[in-house]
Amino acid sequence: MSVDYSWYLFLGAALFTIGAYGLLIRRNPLVMFMCIELMLNAVNLTFVTFSRMLNDIGGQVVVFFVLVVAAAEVVVGLGILVSILRRRPSATVDDISALKG
Amino acid sequence: MVAQNIAFGVLAAATSLAAIRVVTTRNVVHAALYLVVVLASVGALYILLTAEFVAAVQILVYVGAIVVLLLFGVMLTKATLGEDDQLDNDQRWLGAVIALFLLGTLSFVLVDAFGDDKLPSLEGVSRATLEAQRGSGAVGDAIFSTFLVPFEVVSVLLLAALVGAIVLARRD
Amino acid sequence: MDVLSGPVAGVFRAPDVDYHAFAPELVLVAVLVAVLVVDLVLEGRGRRLVGGLAGIGLLAAMVPVLTLAVDGANRSMVGGAYVVDDFALVFKGLFLIAGYVTMLLSSDYLADDDYYEGEYYFLLLSSVLGMMVMASSRDLISIFVALELLSIPAYMLAGWRKRDLKGNEATLKYYLLGVFATGVMLYGMSLIFGITGETVLTEIGSKLQGPGASLPLVSLGIVFVIVGFAFKISAVPFHSWAPDTYEGAPTPITAFLSVASKAGGFVALMQLVFIGFLGRDDVWQPMFWVLAALTMTVGNLIALRQTNIVRMLAYSSVAQAGYMLLPFAVAGDLAKGPGAAMGPMTTYLLIYAAMNLGAFALVLAVARKTRSGEIASYGGLFEYAPGLTVLMSIFVFALAGIPPLGGWYGKLVVFKTLLDANTPWAIVLGVIAAVNSVIALYYYASVAREMWMRPVPDGDTTPVRVPAGLTAALSLCAVATVVIGVYPQVVARFGDLAVFSLLP
Repeated sequence: MSVDYSWYLFLGAALFTIGAYGLLIRRNPLVMFMCIELMLNAVNLTFVTFSRMLNDIGGQVVVFFVLVVAAAEVVVGLGILVSILRRRPSATVDDISALKG
Repeated sequence: MVAQNIAFGVLAAATSLAAIRVVTTRNVVHAALYLVVVLASVGALYILLTAEFVAAVQILVYVGAIVVLLLFGVMLTKATLGEDDQLDNDQRWLGAVIALFLLGTLSFVLVDAFGDDKLPSLEGVSRATLEAQRGSGAVGDAIFSTFLVPFEVVSVLLLAALVGAIVLARRD
Repeated sequence: MDVLSGPVAGVFRAPDVDYHAFAPELVLVAVLVAVLVVDLVLEGRGRRLVGGLAGIGLLAAMVPVLTLAVDGANRSMVGGAYVVDDFALVFKGLFLIAGYVTMLLSSDYLADDDYYEGEYYFLLLSSVLGMMVMASSRDLISIFVALELLSIPAYMLAGWRKRDLKGNEATLKYYLLGVFATGVMLYGMSLIFGITGETVLTEIGSKLQGPGASLPLVSLGIVFVIVGFAFKISAVPFHSWAPDTYEGAPTPITAFLSVASKAGGFVALMQLVFIGFLGRDDVWQPMFWVLAALTMTVGNLIALRQTNIVRMLAYSSVAQAGYMLLPFAVAGDLAKGPGAAMGPMTTYLLIYAAMNLGAFALVLAVARKTRSGEIASYGGLFEYAPGLTVLMSIFVFALAGIPPLGGWYGKLVVFKTLLDANTPWAIVLGVIAAVNSVIALYYYASVAREMWMRPVPDGDTTPVRVPAGLTAALSLCAVATVVIGVYPQVVARFGDLAVFSLLP
């Protein structure tokens, strides 16, 4: 028996959902960054699975770009966070209520 | 094949459990360490999917750089170490309902589209062919031919992120 | 694996690079590197020089755009992933001019409050470069990377007022929502890639006409991608970042976000929808119908209640995005084919750029004296700044769509598209849009009433000093707004040009 690739896709969907859930309920910006990484990993896993299934190298190249962009995003996010914390030492994101749904 | 299935099962379980811990733990540092487990397992899954270049980059960039960056963030922002009850907001149940709905929808459409398809078998495919089609060399060729424009754009993006983040984070 | 000694992975063929087609982007890259180096060498002493260099660079990048336009040939590179056609050139021109006007608005603003300058210009140019690339990107990966290059510098620029806590928090909100939207969009792209096995939009377009295109998975992928961009264009219900970010960001950046960044989102949507997802109008058409109706109505109703001019203009720009979405909502029902919806959208975007940049330039000019963003502080503006009052009246009435100022023509072509579609749904949407135009007139007119009829709040009638850069920006926008209103053929011509040559 071979591995169904829908298992991989399902794992990707689960990771994406967990990341989105974390982003909805978390208040600490650092943990929210981690949730975004979970979502991006779900995207990457899905792309690599499709790359294997379609035998198309494009799916792997996308992952390379997503990785680079994710690194840039984290750097920028931390920069913004540090600039906030220089003004105010406690860091929660109470005012971000737009993510409710 | 059986070995692959077992490996997938173990890695999938590790990935999802660790991911759930990332979003439920009350400790920021633990969340970052659970994230390492998720990222490493996903990297191992890439090897199962014969994407060795991506697997290596996953470990180098994600585990080696991004998680370290996040841990530096914990240090720089003086986030509470240890238990912190302030980590969640009050929408846990609403969030769970939305997440379950999303997961249900995604599973439905995925099963609908790909329910009983199998991964193409690699039996009888020689190692040389596999490498030519899916190895690091093939990825490099694709990046520098088909995806040349995004590659150049990403290099400017990294420069911009670097310069901007320094300005924002520096003391003045 | 050792790449050098390992088995040769097929013979590598270097892609053909058409340097003329890439010239605008290459000029911009050269200038942004030059800005960074000059700023580094002069260590902040040559502020004017750096600003001037960046401005000249934006105008210099306009030259190859014009030569390409004169040349007229459609250039398609790397397998159709990067296309330079009239559509791309019209928008490249818009992005360069919007970037230049932002530059004019910024120079005195930065000097007054002692912000970092060299890096600011560098990031602004990077964001403009991302938009330029976006206008030519015709595959999923290029669109994703271009979107990031236009957004990431924008996140940082929005937080440039580091000493302002409110601004910082607005930036964090903008950043988190933006990154979340990117994740959703990418997941949608991965699903579409999985079904079609393609990343180039034309290929996706032809695959989605064929069998397998009606899978729910495809619909979900399209929905996710559109939701991702709905954040970028601040369509309701994905608009909540906009008012806070617009208020917290430096005002020139607010102008830039509300015009150029929004136009970037629309360009990407037009490319995705009219090339890639053309065969699935049963998915995107109802979705855009709901988005357009909600965006217009919610934006206008909340704008009514605002007392701060920047927040009012923020909600007004949300509402304007709703009008621009109207042609999407009826594109599939047009007798001349969906491509006929593109001209009106481009026309509206060009006009909107002129009048909205103008309105924000005026807010900047007045704030130099009053140091306030409240609408009440505009009381009696006519008594001490009659010129500015006339200009502001031009911009707000143009935004409201009163002839003969620019805005009316945009509204006209959009409503005409709705009538051309002539389906019950299009008519209902037209009625909603018409009601909204009336509501909008009320809050635009209230600004004018404040300026012309109310007394000066604190009795201080010293004239407003407007620096040269700001004057240039104001005149540019005012002339464009009036000329377009009187001779709409000018802009209609661009609208006609900006249609893909690739439509099936």
